[in-house]
Amino acid sequence: MAALLPLVHRTPPRLYRWSRRLRRLSLLVFVVVIIFLGTVAYSAVRLVQSSPQSSGYSAGFAANGTMVVSGSVSLSNPGFYPLDGFELNLRILNSSGTYLGALLAGPVDVSAGGATSFPFSLSLPVSTGSAAESLLVTDQYLSVGIWGNATYAYLFPASVHFTQNKSWGAPFALLRITPGTPTSQGASVVVPVTLSFSNDASFTEVGSLAVGLYGSNGIECGASAFSLNVPSRTLFDQTQSIALAAGCSVAGGYAQATFTGSGATITLPREALP
Amino acid sequence: MSAPVSSFSLPPPVSSLPHAAEAYHIPSLGYRIVVATLRLVPLIVVLVGIPVAALTYLQSRSITLPVSINTVLVYGVLLCAMSTARYILRPTRAYGPVSMATAAVTIVFFLTLLVQSTYHLGVPQSTAVISVTYTDLIEILLVVPVLALVAGLVTTIEDLRSPTERLQFDFPP
Repeated sequence: MAALLPLVHRTPPRLYRWSRRLRRLSLLVFVVVIIFLGTVAYSAVRLVQSSPQSSGYSAGFAANGTMVVSGSVSLSNPGFYPLDGFELNLRILNSSGTYLGALLAGPVDVSAGGATSFPFSLSLPVSTGSAAESLLVTDQYLSVGIWGNATYAYLFPASVHFTQNKSWGAPFALLRITPGTPTSQGASVVVPVTLSFSNDASFTEVGSLAVGLYGSNGIECGASAFSLNVPSRTLFDQTQSIALAAGCSVAGGYAQATFTGSGATITLPREALP
Repeated sequence: MSAPVSSFSLPPPVSSLPHAAEAYHIPSLGYRIVVATLRLVPLIVVLVGIPVAALTYLQSRSITLPVSINTVLVYGVLLCAMSTARYILRPTRAYGPVSMATAAVTIVFFLTLLVQSTYHLGVPQSTAVISVTYTDLIEILLVVPVLALVAGLVTTIEDLRSPTERLQFDFPP
């Protein structure tokens, strides 16, 4: 009976079946990968269109002689695949290329169709002699290098790097401490001192600015404090009289100002006196 | 339309198979060449036309390419030609070896892509550089020609052991 049946109805030989299975499996893998690639491409385009947004950007003084730049980055992932291990590295150089500081935000995982927001905070030491000291008194452009790393759709480690120039408004821009002509008032000598600067920072300065006058030998001749309440983008120009110690000359010396406010004490760069 | 039948280039049927003359129905060489030529059109579009057009489009917009246009062109033409030859030679013993050769060329092509599997994209008129690594993807894609290579090997062995065994299933009457 079996001999009468057409051969095409017989079970294919073992080798033939293996060959056919392998070819079909190969085709199946190829089709699955192509479909996966297509959906990844579609999702990636949607992800790029909803690029990370930074918000809540602010700068201010901190207690330990630093300025703090803080903000947050929000990231939404409208695609079909997760974004794993997203982290942001940020590196800041001043206008002359000197390294000022860096921060690392993340890593965070953003699930498919999800969104996340993570805060960042960058401390820049602005104490006397530090690289970031000029941030206090000089408006400038900062070079901000940003590196982002993540793995998208399980298989694609990706990174992005770009550099931006950000304008920086100094809180004591164009700081000038100008002594006037000393006058004798009884037994003491008094010198009028004019303090001027522009608050080009994004915040209001509230506190006091202590100004000390020093002779060329480094001995303090006199001091006074200016009360500050200077809104952002406002000029400050005020004159006060400072009594000098007997026999103390500020000619060839320097003036040193120290800001105290918002829980911080910041020493400003020295000003040479004529 | 029924295809013309030919036993051209086929080994003689094995006498132990009953009803061997009716066991399979092999299209003539001319018919296979015509069909293979028609099949070549979509193959060229998929393997050569679309990739080369995409890379040319990117290049015209000053976007650096992950792989050169010439590389894609050469491998695309080669794979089209081998796939066509494979189709024409399907009823013969050369089918297995040609299948293996096609898979081997595909593997070499994927390995070429694997070597350059980190793509650095410089965004025009910007300082931004985007890098994407697709090594894992290529490694998964390599499974496809490896399976095809093994399938070709199994077919070659089968043809060596029993030359007409598969014809009744590949070309049923």
